[in-house]
This record gives sequence, C-alpha cells and structure tokens, in this order.
Amino acid sequence: MRRMRCAMKQIITLFVNNKEYEIAVAPNKTLTQVLRDDLGLMGTKEGCGLGDCGACTVILDGRPVNSCLVLAVQANGSQISTIEGIAESHTLHPLQQAFVDHGAIQCGFCTPGMVLSAKTLLDKNPDPSEYEIREAISGNLCRCTGYQKIVEAVKAASENMKE
Amino acid sequence: MLILPKFVYYEPGDMSEACKIMSDLNGNAKIIAGGTDILVNMKKGLLSPGYLVSISKVSELSEIGPVNGSISIGARLIVAKLTEFDIIRKKLPSLAKAAGVLGSPLIRNRATIGGNIVTARPAADLPPPLLAMGAKVKLESTKGVRDVALDDFFLGPGVTVMRPDEILSMIVVDELPPFTGSDYIKLGHRKSLEIAIVAVASRITLNAPDGEIKDAKVILSSVAPTAIHAVSAEKVLIGEKPTDALLEKAARLAGTDCTPITDIRGGAEYRCAMVEVLTKRTLSAALKEARGK
Repeated sequence: MRRMRCAMKQIITLFVNNKEYEIAVAPNKTLTQVLRDDLGLMGTKEGCGLGDCGACTVILDGRPVNSCLVLAVQANGSQISTIEGIAESHTLHPLQQAFVDHGAIQCGFCTPGMVLSAKTLLDKNPDPSEYEIREAISGNLCRCTGYQKIVEAVKAASENMKE
Repeated sequence: MLILPKFVYYEPGDMSEACKIMSDLNGNAKIIAGGTDILVNMKKGLLSPGYLVSISKVSELSEIGPVNGSISIGARLIVAKLTEFDIIRKKLPSLAKAAGVLGSPLIRNRATIGGNIVTARPAADLPPPLLAMGAKVKLESTKGVRDVALDDFFLGPGVTVMRPDEILSMIVVDELPPFTGSDYIKLGHRKSLEIAIVAVASRITLNAPDGEIKDAKVILSSVAPTAIHAVSAEKVLIGEKPTDALLEKAARLAGTDCTPITDIRGGAEYRCAMVEVLTKRTLSAALKEARGK
C-alpha cells in the first residue's frame, strides 16, 4: 500500500538533472523551495508564487510546470530538469547561447523559465512557427524585453539545432 | 515568499482508500489534484485545511476511454491531455478547444478537469462545453456512488451539490447524435493566463445535414453566478430550419438571458453585447460542423 500520512517531514526521492536525491521534506514545502533551499539549485526563481509569472518553471516528467504550485511530496519519484541541467558541462545549450546572442536576457529573472518552456517546445516540435513559440512561452512573463528578442532567440536556436 | 500553512498529507493508492480517508476525516480534508487552485488559495490565506488528500496515485482517475457508447474521462486527467487525446479532439472538439485556452501551458500541465469543475468558478473554461454536451459527473464516497447531471451540479460561485466527503471521480459524456456540432469561444483581454470576460459554448444537432434543428444548447459563462443556459435562445432554435436570421434572433435573445455584473474585467452592458456576438459565432461554427463541413 502506497499510503502516506504525515505532517512531519517525510523522505522523498527526486531525480533532478539525472542525479538522484533522497531528502526529508515537510508536506507544505513547494518544489521551488526544496530545489532552492535543500538542493541549492538557485537557478529556479520564485516570482509571484501563484502560478502567474512562470519564473519557477521546471520540467517535471517531460512537461514544464510552475514548481511553486507543486508540493515537493507530490513530485516524489519524478524526473525533474532545472536550468542547471540544460548546459553540457561548459558548453551552453543552443537555446541558452541564442538567448545570449540575441539580447533576449536583460534582468535575467525570467530566463530560466523561458529557456525551459522553449526547450520543451523544441523537443516536441523542432521547427515551430512564431505563433507556436509565443504560445509555448505564454505562461512565462518578461517585464524587460517585450518578448520580441526572446521569440527571435528561440527561432534562431531551432535553426541552429537543425544544422 | 508566500508560505503554505501546515497540513497533514495523505496519498491513498486507490479509490476505496481515498473515500475511507475522506469519510474518517469528517469534512476537515480537502482533495488536492493538480493544486493550481487550492495551493493558490492556501498561499493567499483563503483556505487552510488541516488535511490534504492527494489523488495523484489513484491511477483509475487518470483514465479516459469509450465505455458503452459514452466517453468517460477520469477527473485527475490534466487539462493538457484533453487537447492531445484523439478521442477528445474528434468526439468533443469544443472541450479540446476550451482546454487549449485554460490558464497557460504551465497551468494546463498540472490543472485537472475535475478541479476545473469542483472549484465552481463562474468563469471556468471546461464546464460550458461539458454543459452543452449534457455531461454527467460521478461522485464517490464510502456511502456509494451517485451520478449527477452537470446541469444540477453548480449552486453558485464555489458552491456545488458535493458533500464534503465526496470525491468527483469521473466525467461522462454520452455519445452525441449524428449531425451534431459544437463550439466554444472565450473573450479575454489577452490569450493566455486570462479569466474570461464572457465565454459561450454552443451545440447544435440537426435531424439531417440540410434539415431542422433537433436540439440546441447555448451556455453562457462569466455572466451569472454559474454557467447558465440561454433558455430563450435554445427554445427559439429547436424545431426550426437554421438560417442566418434565426441564429441572429437566438443571439439577441441570449443577450437578454443573462444577468452579468460590472467588474474589473468588463461592464455589464458590454458583456451582454458580447454574449450576442459570441452566441452568433459559436452557433454558426456549430452549424457548419453539424452539416459536416
């Protein structure tokens, strides 16, 4: 029986960026809090904390989600990708490089979420239209760029990744 | 940072265990599925249940499929999947369309169809097409299972006929008759992360591709405490040959069937005017689909 009952901390297993972590968490901790405070992965940002801004985006079992609205205990046993797991050792992921090259980063607070939403799009659809790109990042708010440079960066990355 | 209040967390492995926990906790527990609504309310301090019962390990609640001619959709199914499954896109296209405009892609990957129903928000996206299709919901508890027509389910904003120990397990839509078409349009200030100013779902069933209207449903959302039928619009359509003039007449009547409020999202007068526009557009699209075009 997989029943759990707990207000105290409980042990969960998370597979974050292909690494296994076993940690004790209180049920009222969100996945954002556990990634940042327990695992030290500060790339995941907390903005609004209410699912509106997308700064806390992570890829959970293949789908981008607002990690501020996921209880860490709900993610027990899941595969999670954060922004720290996107680059390969010291080489940026083509999306990250395109964000740098196209001026798609200003203050940078939305960037991890933008990159992860865009990555999930390109994994499914390597050649997206501008509309599809805008839709894919529509849960991620950016208050600096006006989105145009971000859309251009995603388009450029999709072209670079085909080569 | 918004901190969640403390609670005791349960994670039952099947439906009978989930029902038993809800019954034992005697109304002090809340179900958590995707968490996109309840966790927001808990962070804002609007809710602080002593117990949260997660239904994510109850696998039968994530199933979907044809059952005896009906389509049954598990309440735990995430909204994104409603836009992906062929059975929904082909058989219930207006539901797939409504699912595609709910929240944002990130929200749709967590929010569930059951959650969008039990929270009973007046502007919820999935109830209008489901009401237009005559959907029923299955409510389960240790006392048994009951089927409730969605038409009888909503009582007001946030209020439904569900008892505190009941769990919504399944949404059932009976097979729609031939020559049926439907549509859903949501009007908002922006396309994503938006709560509807007005939304309308319509469904038309003809007795033949070039025949009369056998059945019609027009559901208005965001213009009353719950999604409502545009009763006089439906009445004027049934039994008539569909013409542009008839659809326009129905649209005008729909504008008088609702009692919207003026709030930050839109004025009452504007909402009534938009009800007319969206009713006409959804009826036209539904008719086109019903005729097989």
